[in-house]
This record gives sequence, structure tokens and C-alpha cells, in this order.
Amino acid sequence: MSFPARLVYLDDNNRTERSRSLGKLVLSMSMSLDGFIAGPGDSPDNPFGDDGQRLHAWLGDGGEDPPSYRPADEAGRTVFDELLATGAVITGRRTGDYVNYWGGDHHDGVPIFVPTHQAPAGPTPGNVHFVTDGIASCAAQAKAAAGERDVMLHGAYTAREALRARVLDVLEIQLVPVLFGDGRRLFDDPGSDRVELDLVRTLESPGALLLRYEVRYA
Amino acid sequence: MSAPIRLYMSMTLDGFIAGPDDRPGQELGRGGGRVFNWLDDRMSEGANGQVFREAMDTGALISGRRTFELAGRWQGDHHDGVPIFVLTHHVDDGDVPPGSARFVTDVADCAAQARAAAGERAVMVHGAGAAQALLRTGLLDELEIHLVPVLLGDGRRLFDGLGAEHIELELVRRLPGRDVMHLRYRVRRP
Repeated sequence: MSFPARLVYLDDNNRTERSRSLGKLVLSMSMSLDGFIAGPGDSPDNPFGDDGQRLHAWLGDGGEDPPSYRPADEAGRTVFDELLATGAVITGRRTGDYVNYWGGDHHDGVPIFVPTHQAPAGPTPGNVHFVTDGIASCAAQAKAAAGERDVMLHGAYTAREALRARVLDVLEIQLVPVLFGDGRRLFDDPGSDRVELDLVRTLESPGALLLRYEVRYA
Repeated sequence: MSAPIRLYMSMTLDGFIAGPDDRPGQELGRGGGRVFNWLDDRMSEGANGQVFREAMDTGALISGRRTFELAGRWQGDHHDGVPIFVLTHHVDDGDVPPGSARFVTDVADCAAQARAAAGERAVMVHGAGAAQALLRTGLLDELEIHLVPVLLGDGRRLFDGLGAEHIELELVRRLPGRDVMHLRYRVRRP
């Protein structure tokens, strides 16, 4: 890998360890008011599930600036631009497999980290790294790669793992004004601990309420 | 349009309105009290007080049977003695609810009676069961969701078993309160 595994340096004078200020691990997901991130029946051929595209209507249609999905409104653009300024991406295996890891390039060629139990046998596209020693290690590697930039995390299962391992820093939720009624939920983890959040920013976009929460672990 | 039938519910970001195992003696479920912390601030001059006063200014209440029983039937008076319409599947012979409460077994009939009773004031809906029944039948006009910044992890969901038909909403008001965000949505009619 082309980046240091740990951004920890020895101080020349007193030889104590100090770390450089790292970016945050930010979950970004578009969610219906009733908690769904995909419609029912999601599969590789139908990655958003039935009518799941509805959740992504806050994005641009790619028409103005193809092939970009940059929203037309200022609030949407603010969040979109922040997400595309991240220095690494973590995606779940399921999400990644559905979209073939964006051909190895999610944006700007930043590294893509995939926590998984077993890495696939074949060659992996582009800058994709499978991490088999847990979500905490995956988060640490992605943060090291991103340096002072944030890391974007995508995928419901991976988000829950990151919350359980207490490595998720921020939730950027695009709350879409629709009740889906059925599909795949973002938060579906019975038995997990309560997690307190701080709402640190609210932006109103025509297609969604853009809510930024910082996670406050007990 | 006449005054709306409006759901009032506190909900965590992960969709829960009570902790797990809600039952008599533990009405809010385990750890479910967290959902209602913002109500400590209900007498304030801020958004929390405003929303609470609006809720208490509704002219009738529609409640699900489960909520009604867990709340001890509110001793027959939820607020100001306004009529309480309790949606239920079954009424035992001789079971007469107290005070201004009455049982109704048909959801459309329930909505019509509540609307008539409230007159020019809004109708308050409380409880997941009543909310789901009214949403499924297209009789709910608005949702006032008190969105609480916490992941509860487990418990009773507000939106469950609605069926796969999308219900489109329009965000018509957003009031940030202390420890909560009050979001008012209007149900879009197709």
C-alpha cells in the first residue's frame, strides 16, 4: 500500500508518541422518514431495491454536469462537495459487490477499503483494499490513508459494525420526506447499546433534510 | 380544507417510540424514557413549549387501543376533557371507557367522528397503531415528529408494517428545540 499504516510519530525530543490530527469517519446515507435506505428486493441487478431510486432524488440527475450527480441547490451541493472531498471510502461488501466497487474509483481515485471476512480470490479493481481483521482496523487504515481529510463510509451493515466498535464519528443523514413501508433499514441492530448523538448541522434541500450528527460515545 | 388530523409522536433517529418490552408497569419500555426527555422543557417559551401548547390545543384525540390501555386510559381525560376516540378491534360487553373516551371499531368512522368533534381545531393522533391505521387508509393529514438525537437500538417502531406503497410527504415546518427537532410533514395526496 502506498500510504503509511499508522500516522503515529516519535517525537525527537521526548520520544513520546503523538498523532497527527486525523479526519473523521462519516457515514453518509439517504434514508426515508421511516428508516429505509433501499426498497424491497434489492439485488445486484436492482441495487436500490424496488423504487429505491426515490431516496436519491435529492441528488442531481447528472444532466447539468454529466456524469456528476451534484445537486442543483446550494444545501445539497454543500453536503455533496464535502463527501467528494473525503480522502478515503469505506464500503460494505454487499454495497461494493452491487456496484463492482465503482470500477475501483469512487471519486478522485481515493482508496476504497472494504471490511470483509474473506477477501475475494480474483484481482481487485483499482484502489480497493479488502480488510479482514475487523472494522476498527479498517477504520484506522482508511483514516491513515485520508490523512487530515475525512473518510466516507457507505453501507448499513458496515455502519452498524462501526457504531458497535465505536469508530464512527459522524452521521450525515439525508432524511427524505417519504414513507417507504418496506425495504432495507439503516438501523436494524437489536441488542445494540444506546448511542447519543449531537445534531450539529441542519440544511434544508428541496429533496431532503440534510442532518449532520456527531456521535457521543458514553 | 378543515382542520387537519395530525399525528404527534416522539421518535428516535432509528425510528423507535419506546424501548423494548413495553407493558403495564414499564409503559415506555426499557430505557424508553430517553425518548421523552425533551418534554422536561415543555413549559419553556421556546420551540418545545410552542409545540407542546399546540398539541394541547387540539380539539379531539384519536388513540390506538394499546396506547390507551398503557396510559391507564388517561382516567378518561387526556387534555381539557376533549373527546377521545379509541381505535380498537374488539369491545367487551359492558366495557365502558371512562370520561370523554369512547371505543370506535371502524377507522373511517373514527376519523369522521373526531373531525366533527374537533370542529375548527386540529385532531391529535397518538400511538403507532392508530398512526399506521390512518396512514394505510389515507386519513392522516399531517405528522408532527419530535425527532430525538439518539439511537435507541431496540424497541417499538413508529412505522412498521405499512406495506410497500410509498407515501409521499412534504416538510412544511421545522422547529429546532432543546434536545429535539420538531418536523411537521403534510401527507401528499396522489
